[in-house]
Amino acid sequence: MSTLLEISERLQRGKAKDVMALVQTALDEGISAKEILEGSLLVGMGIIGEKFKNNEVFVPEVLVAARAMNKGLEILKPFMADAGIEEKGTIVIGTVKGDLHDIGKNLVKIMMEGKGIKVVDLGVDVTAETFVEQAIENGAKIICCSALLTTTMNEMQAVVETLEANPAKGDIKIMIGGAPITQVFCDKIGAHCFTADAASAADEAINMLIGA
Amino acid sequence: MNKKQLIIDSLNHKDTPRTPWVPFVGVHAGFLVGHNATEMLTDHDKIIQGMDEAIKLYSPDGFPVFFDLQVEAEILGCELVWANEGPPSVKTHPLSDTTEIPCKCVMPTKKDGRLPLITQVMEEIKVKYGEEMALYGLICGPFTLASHLRGNDIFMDMFDDEDYVNGLLEYCTEVSKTMIDIYLEAGMDVIGVVDPLVSQISPDHFEEFLTKPFTAVFDHVRAKGAKNAFFVCGNATRNIEVMCQTNTDCICVDENVNMATAKEITDKYNVVLGGNIPLTTVMLHGTWQDNMKYTIGLLETLTHKNLMISPGCDMTYQTPSENTIAIAQAVFETEKCKEMIKNYESVGFDAIEVIIPDYEALEKPFVEVFTLDSLTCAACTYMMGSVKVAKETYGDKIDIIEYKFTEKSSIARCVKMGVANLPSIYINGKLEYSSIIPSKEELEASINKVL
Repeated sequence: MSTLLEISERLQRGKAKDVMALVQTALDEGISAKEILEGSLLVGMGIIGEKFKNNEVFVPEVLVAARAMNKGLEILKPFMADAGIEEKGTIVIGTVKGDLHDIGKNLVKIMMEGKGIKVVDLGVDVTAETFVEQAIENGAKIICCSALLTTTMNEMQAVVETLEANPAKGDIKIMIGGAPITQVFCDKIGAHCFTADAASAADEAINMLIGA
Repeated sequence: MNKKQLIIDSLNHKDTPRTPWVPFVGVHAGFLVGHNATEMLTDHDKIIQGMDEAIKLYSPDGFPVFFDLQVEAEILGCELVWANEGPPSVKTHPLSDTTEIPCKCVMPTKKDGRLPLITQVMEEIKVKYGEEMALYGLICGPFTLASHLRGNDIFMDMFDDEDYVNGLLEYCTEVSKTMIDIYLEAGMDVIGVVDPLVSQISPDHFEEFLTKPFTAVFDHVRAKGAKNAFFVCGNATRNIEVMCQTNTDCICVDENVNMATAKEITDKYNVVLGGNIPLTTVMLHGTWQDNMKYTIGLLETLTHKNLMISPGCDMTYQTPSENTIAIAQAVFETEKCKEMIKNYESVGFDAIEVIIPDYEALEKPFVEVFTLDSLTCAACTYMMGSVKVAKETYGDKIDIIEYKFTEKSSIARCVKMGVANLPSIYINGKLEYSSIIPSKEELEASINKVL
């Protein structure tokens, strides 16, 4: 089995120590940081994302796989600056005001990072103003809003309105998701994109960033 | 037929004359009577008032007396954030920075947190409705309680520190048993173990960590001579089978689980399946016809033994009451409701001649009551009853009429007059009451305005 394939497989099983050691081995073998990142770490997370979407793996498996990926990235980081790795863009993410639930938000963050997107995590209970200010400050192209409660989902409309009212909004887009959210709701509040699960959110973010 | 017996028979896996109906009314009861969610979870009089109204409107066979999964967490040191239109959320997790397991000597007592309030409410509801309906006491399941105490790290702990997870779950199981004892002593007939997080882990993890605690919890309820139910939220499809293996009487699921798929599994284990009217798309945002159709769909596609009809989970605060009334009606009068929906969808109402009165030229107030059918729909019965009382008071000074949606001409009239919700009261052609039943004084005041 090639080292890259082995990294991907160990990552999918959440074996952080193995991933760290194997990334070092790959570097020692002369494999470039770009190849290691794109050919093993992101591949492994992509597979986990698909399996999560298909209800084949669950939250704990995703969390430990993400931890393994991050450990691998730590080894890789010093070699990445000169490796010609293109940044795929920045997004800001948070759970909307009044809502403290963050499992879904964290999963989306993990999947997006697994696609090579820079994610600025604003945490939970995030006001509309903070979403917009932070997006502009960080040069983000997408604001990702999460809500678990039917009572807080309406806060997403405030984010849409706050962004619209900001003259510096540029071409920032708003993506929404969470248990009670539907495409109908997305259309109703004028958000740009709804995705039903974390893996789809990451796929769609890539499409939006490339198209942006 | 005694409604309570219907639930108990169903949970004993017997054939029942009809499918039981269990609306999961929590803070939504506050919406019915004008109190916010926090008031509905902290104020004795308002809780009772809300419950009375919900029972009157929805005519349940069984219902939860108090729906808040944060009761135990609050007692055990979690800080809560309260909301106007939903139950509180857990803000802080006392075990987030430690893997110390709380001592089993620290258990909730009847004097802790909101338990004095909750048990008082349970005891009063028992006296009022306990003979007639099955009362559900809901506890937070051990896994979700463990996550309240530990935070999201509980998921990582399942890989990193299995002994800790087992120890914490053992503690939470003891908390669950204590809560069960308290609620059974307060008169509850069924213990609902609500554990939304169960859908977030794999069947393997369920077997590794949760089979033992949940089996212990359900066995404890059985040993006390009561019935139990296992509530889960989210896509728990993969876990239905392992949930069935915990000795539970009933599994309740939401719209993320396909009921037909789940019922194949629950039937295999002779476990009751409850669910799964979608809380948001159908109950909150749909029409009453949508709710009736969804319910009829469940009743037509699933075998009725070991089946209960209920919302997917705790109903959202602003669920329109007519939607829940429509579900109840579809359960009680399935065939008639099928006919109603068929008639409604067949359009062609223009062919039915309906004479709309010249309301401006009326000589006396005309009170029109639009119902599903006041003989069978509880909310309609109460609404029609309030109008009949007014008729007795006013005699010849007012005219009243009931239009039942079971009749095509009434449907045509509803369409022509733009009647959106049932039951409703119109006075002189104007909508005065939609779903909410007016008190004698309120209705008289409305009539006096046009007398």
